[in-house]
Amino acid sequence: MPRANSKMRRLLAVGAASAVMIGLAACSGGGGASDEHTVVWSTWGTPEELTRFEEFNDEFMKRHPDITVELQPVASYSDYHSKLLAQLTSNTAPDVFYIGDDKIGQFVDAKVLAPLTKLMESDASQTHPDDFFPGLFGAAEQDGEIFAAPNDSNPDVLWYDKQALAAAGITEDPAALAEDGEWTTDKYLEMNDKLAAAGLTGSMFWNYWATHYSWISSQGGTAYDDSGAFVGNDDATTVDAVDTLGRYFQDGTFVVADSMPEGAGADSVFVTHKAGFFSQGRYTIGTVESAGEQDSYDIVRWPTPDGQAAPTGVATSYLAINGKTKAKDAAFTFWTEFLSAEGQVFRLQGGGNAVPSIKGADEVVLEDGYPAHAQTFLDMRDIGFEDYAAEAVVPGLSTDVSDLFLKLYEGKADAQGTLDAVAGLVADKTGE
Amino acid sequence: MTVITGDATATPVASVAPPAPSAPGGLRRESAWRRRDRRWGYVFIGPQVIGMALFVLLPFVASLVLAFASWDGLTELTWVGFENFTAQMQDELLLRSIGNTLLIALITVPIGLGLAVVIAVALEKLKTRTLYLILFFAPVVTSTVAVAMIWQQMFRVDGVLSETIAKVFGIAPPDWLGDPSLALLAVCIVSIWSSLGLNVIIFLAGLQNISPSVIEAARIDGAGAWRLFRSIRMPLLSPIIFFSSIVAFISSLQTFDTVFVLTADAGPDNATRTIVYHIYDLGFGRFEFGPASAASVILLVLTLVITAIQFGAQKKFVHYEDDAA
Amino acid sequence: MTAADIETTLVGRPDLERPSSPRAGVARRRAGSTALHVGLVVAGIAMVFPFAWMLITSFKTLPQLLQDPRSFWPAPWTIDNYVEAWNAVPFGQAYLNSIYICVLAVAGTLLTASMAGYAFARIRFRGSRVIFIVFLATQMIPKQVTLIPFYLLMAQFGWVDSHLSLIVPAMLVNPFAVFLMRQFVLSLPKELEEAALVDGAGRWRTFWSIILPNLKPGLGALSIIVALDVWNSFLFPLVLLNSPDLFTVPLLLSSFRGQFGSINYGLVMAASALATIPMLIAFVIGQRRILNSMAASGLGGR
Repeated sequence: MPRANSKMRRLLAVGAASAVMIGLAACSGGGGASDEHTVVWSTWGTPEELTRFEEFNDEFMKRHPDITVELQPVASYSDYHSKLLAQLTSNTAPDVFYIGDDKIGQFVDAKVLAPLTKLMESDASQTHPDDFFPGLFGAAEQDGEIFAAPNDSNPDVLWYDKQALAAAGITEDPAALAEDGEWTTDKYLEMNDKLAAAGLTGSMFWNYWATHYSWISSQGGTAYDDSGAFVGNDDATTVDAVDTLGRYFQDGTFVVADSMPEGAGADSVFVTHKAGFFSQGRYTIGTVESAGEQDSYDIVRWPTPDGQAAPTGVATSYLAINGKTKAKDAAFTFWTEFLSAEGQVFRLQGGGNAVPSIKGADEVVLEDGYPAHAQTFLDMRDIGFEDYAAEAVVPGLSTDVSDLFLKLYEGKADAQGTLDAVAGLVADKTGE
Repeated sequence: MTVITGDATATPVASVAPPAPSAPGGLRRESAWRRRDRRWGYVFIGPQVIGMALFVLLPFVASLVLAFASWDGLTELTWVGFENFTAQMQDELLLRSIGNTLLIALITVPIGLGLAVVIAVALEKLKTRTLYLILFFAPVVTSTVAVAMIWQQMFRVDGVLSETIAKVFGIAPPDWLGDPSLALLAVCIVSIWSSLGLNVIIFLAGLQNISPSVIEAARIDGAGAWRLFRSIRMPLLSPIIFFSSIVAFISSLQTFDTVFVLTADAGPDNATRTIVYHIYDLGFGRFEFGPASAASVILLVLTLVITAIQFGAQKKFVHYEDDAA
Repeated sequence: MTAADIETTLVGRPDLERPSSPRAGVARRRAGSTALHVGLVVAGIAMVFPFAWMLITSFKTLPQLLQDPRSFWPAPWTIDNYVEAWNAVPFGQAYLNSIYICVLAVAGTLLTASMAGYAFARIRFRGSRVIFIVFLATQMIPKQVTLIPFYLLMAQFGWVDSHLSLIVPAMLVNPFAVFLMRQFVLSLPKELEEAALVDGAGRWRTFWSIILPNLKPGLGALSIIVALDVWNSFLFPLVLLNSPDLFTVPLLLSSFRGQFGSINYGLVMAASALATIPMLIAFVIGQRRILNSMAASGLGGR
C-alpha cells in the first residue's frame, strides 16, 4: 500500500536526519591545529608542571598576540607515546610535542619530524645548536640533521637518605667524600652492605639504559665503541663491573624500582627511610618535599674506582615539531622560545623538576640551595651522555637490552652471558 | 550484508492485507504483501546489521589480514606471512600471557560461580535479603578501574589485609603485588570479588523460578536440606549455571582493566600479563601492529576452544527440564 | 521469561518464601541456618570492606599514611584530599561526558535492538536465520581482537579523540541486546500484532504502537544493562580519547593514578571515592529495578 511505502521513506529520512544531527552535535575533541596561527602542543606532566606550562603559554601569547597556543596534556608518561602515535597515524597530531628519549629514535626514523638545523641557525632562532650541551642530542640527531632538541635534562644522580645511612651505622657522608675525591666504588658498596645488614634496601634503580650504562662507564668499562658496535662483552673491565652489578641485585641489596608494586613503590620506600640510595633525577625534589622531610636527603655522583668523576647517563626529553604542521612559523617561534635559556629558566625556576639543557640557565638549579650539593646536577650534566645513538635509533632495542639485564638481576643469567646476548642482539638489529 | 532493497513504487494491492503471515490465503496476495514485509524486515534489522558489518566484521577481517603483516602505524606495511604467528608462538611473553590468562580463568570462574551458588541458596531462605543484595551487587556497578585502584591500596604490604594475615597466620606480611607468585592470585581475588554479586543475582532468580511444588514433593518424600540441594536445586539450576559459566569464562579470558590498573607493567616478572594486556602492549606500547593482531587471533582461537569444551561438557552436567527425571 | 516477569522477579517476593516445616529436623535446620547466616555476614563484610576502607583512607593526611600506615582511623580527619582531587582533574566534566554518552548509547541501542529483535522474532524474510546466527556468533569474538583495526577505522573517519567513536558504535552494535529483545518479543502473544495487522496497520506502526509499549519492562532492563556496560567501559575509551576534557569517569580516574599514585594514596582514594560514590548512591536508589534487570539478563540467555 502506498501508505506503507511512504512510511518507509519517512523512516529512512528520519534515520538519515538523526545521523546528521548526531554527527554535528557530538563533534568535539582535540587534534592538530587547522590554521597557521594556532599552535597546539602536547606533553606529559604532573599538575604542577602542567600549571607551569599553562603559565608559559600565557606569557608567550602576551609576547605574540597573533599566535594562539593550546596545550594538550596527557597525564601519564606511559600513555603518552601511544597517544602521539595514534594522532600521527590519524593526522590529528599536535604541531609541537615532547618525545621521550626511549622513543626519539623511532620517531626520527619514521620521518615524521620537521628538520630543524637550518631553522636553529637562522636569525629568528634563540636556540643555536651550539647553545645546547652536545652529549644530550643522542638519537635526535641523524646524519648531521637535528630533528628535535632536548627541552631539559635530568642526570641520574644518586640521591641518598641521611637518616637511613645513619640507621645503618654509616658515619661518612657520600657528597663530602666526593668533594675530596674519595667517593670510590669500594666505599659505595661497603655502605650498601651496611644498609643490607641493617635490614634496609641498599640502592634502587630503574631498569633502563642509564642504569647499566652509567655503571659500566663509571667503572671504567666500555659499552659501545665509536663505530656504534657493542663491545662490552669483549672488555674485561666491563664484564667485571657488570658482574658486580648483577651480584648486588641478585642478593637484594640493589632493587629494580620497576618491579615494585605501583602505589607502594620506590618513592614510598625512599620517603619512609627504608632505602639508602635512589638513582633518579632532579624531579625527586618534588617527592621528598611532599613528604616533608627534605633535609634528610642529598645527592652524589656515581662512585668510581679512583674516586674521580666519570661520565654517566643523563635522561632527556625532546621537543620536536610535527613534520606536517600547518603553522610552521608560529610553531618554530614557540619552539625556540620554549627551549631558549629564558624559556627554560621560566619553566624550571622555583623548585623545578629538571636541569637546563641549554647554556646560560644554570642559576635555576642553584637558586634554592636544595639539595645541599645541587652543583652536582650541573657537573654531571656537563660531562654526561644520552643513550648511545646506535641503540636509540632502533625501536624497542633499548627496552630489549634492559630486559636482558633484568635477567641478570634476577639471577637467570651471568654477566658474560648477558653481555654476549646484548652484543648479539645489537648486531642483529643494527646490522640491517 | 544486504541493506534495504527498497523499491519505492508499490504494486497496487487489494485494500485488505491478509491477517497474519502464517495464515493460509491466496498465493498472489500473500506474495505481494510478503515482499513488502520482507523489506520491512531488512529495514528493521538494518541499523544493527550496518553497525555489525562496519564496526565488528570489517575490523575483524582486517585484524585477520593484519596478522600476516608488519606495521608500526607510521612507516610502510610489509607482508610477512606466518612469521608473526611462528614468532608469537615461540615468544616467551605470549606463552606466559596465555598461561596466566588460563590460570586466572580456571581459578576465578569455578570459585566465583561456586561461591555464588552457595550464597544464592543461602539468600533464598532469607526474607530480608535486600540489604545483602545491595552489598553483594555494589562491586558489580563500580567500574573496574575504581575497584582495582581500591584493591591496589588494600594489597599494600603495610596495609590492613597483609598485616591481619601476618598476625593470624604468624607469617611475614604477604607482598601481594610485589611477589610474582602472589600477584596472579591478587588479580583473581579482585575478579571474584567484583563479579560475585552478578552471579548471585542470576542464580537467585533461577532458584526462585523452581516451582515450589517440586520442593514440597521432595520434602514430603523426606529429603533433607543437602539432598534437596544436590538432587533438585542444582540440576534445575544447571542450565543457568552453564550459561553463566560460558559468559564468565569468555569474560575472564579477556581480563585487562584489572591487570592494567592493579599491577604496573604486567606485574613483577610479568606474573599478571594477560593475553589482552599483551595485545595492548604489542600494539600501543611497542607499535607492533602485526604481532598484536596475530596475538588477538590466538585469543579468538582460545576462546572458541574453551567454549567448545564447555558445550561438550554440557551433555554430561547440564539437565534440561525436558530430560527424563 | 517474559517481560512482565521482570517486574516481580527477584526482590520482594515473599510468596516464594519456603514455608517452614513444623516438625522433623527443625533443630538441625536451625543450626544449619545459623551457619549460613554467619557465612552471609562474613561474605557481606568482605564485599563492603574495601569501600569502607577507601572512604576511611581518603580522609587521612599524608604524614599519617607514611609514618603510621597501620593505624585504622584517620587522625586527624581532613577533606584536603577531596579538594585537591576535585581541582586537579576535571571530574565534573568527566561526569557530564559519561552521562551524555550513556544516554545517547542507551537510546540508540533501545531503538535499534528492539527493531532488530522484533524483525527476527516476527517478520519472515530471507536470510533471517542465517543473519541471526551470525549475530550470535559475533558475540564470541573478543572485542580486543577488533581493537586495532577499529582504531584505524575511527582514525579514517576522523573520530579519534571524539565522543563519536564511543557513541555511534555503541548505538548500532549490540548482539546481546538484539537477542534479548527477540526473546521478549517472542514471549508476547501473537494476537496482539495480528489484530493490528488485520486492521491494516503497517509494520512500522505495529512496531511503534503495539510492540514497544508492551516491551517496556524489557526495555527498562536493557537500558540498565547497556548503561552499566557503557559507563564502565575502559579499554576502548583509553585508546580512542586523548584530551582529558573528553575523558569518561573511569578513564579520568585511571589517569589520576598515573599522576598521583606514587606516595599519597589518601589522595588516590579520595579520587576513587569521587568516581564511585555517586554511582553507588544511584544504585541504591534504583536497586530494585537494577537487580531485577540484571537477573533478567542472565535468565534471558536460557
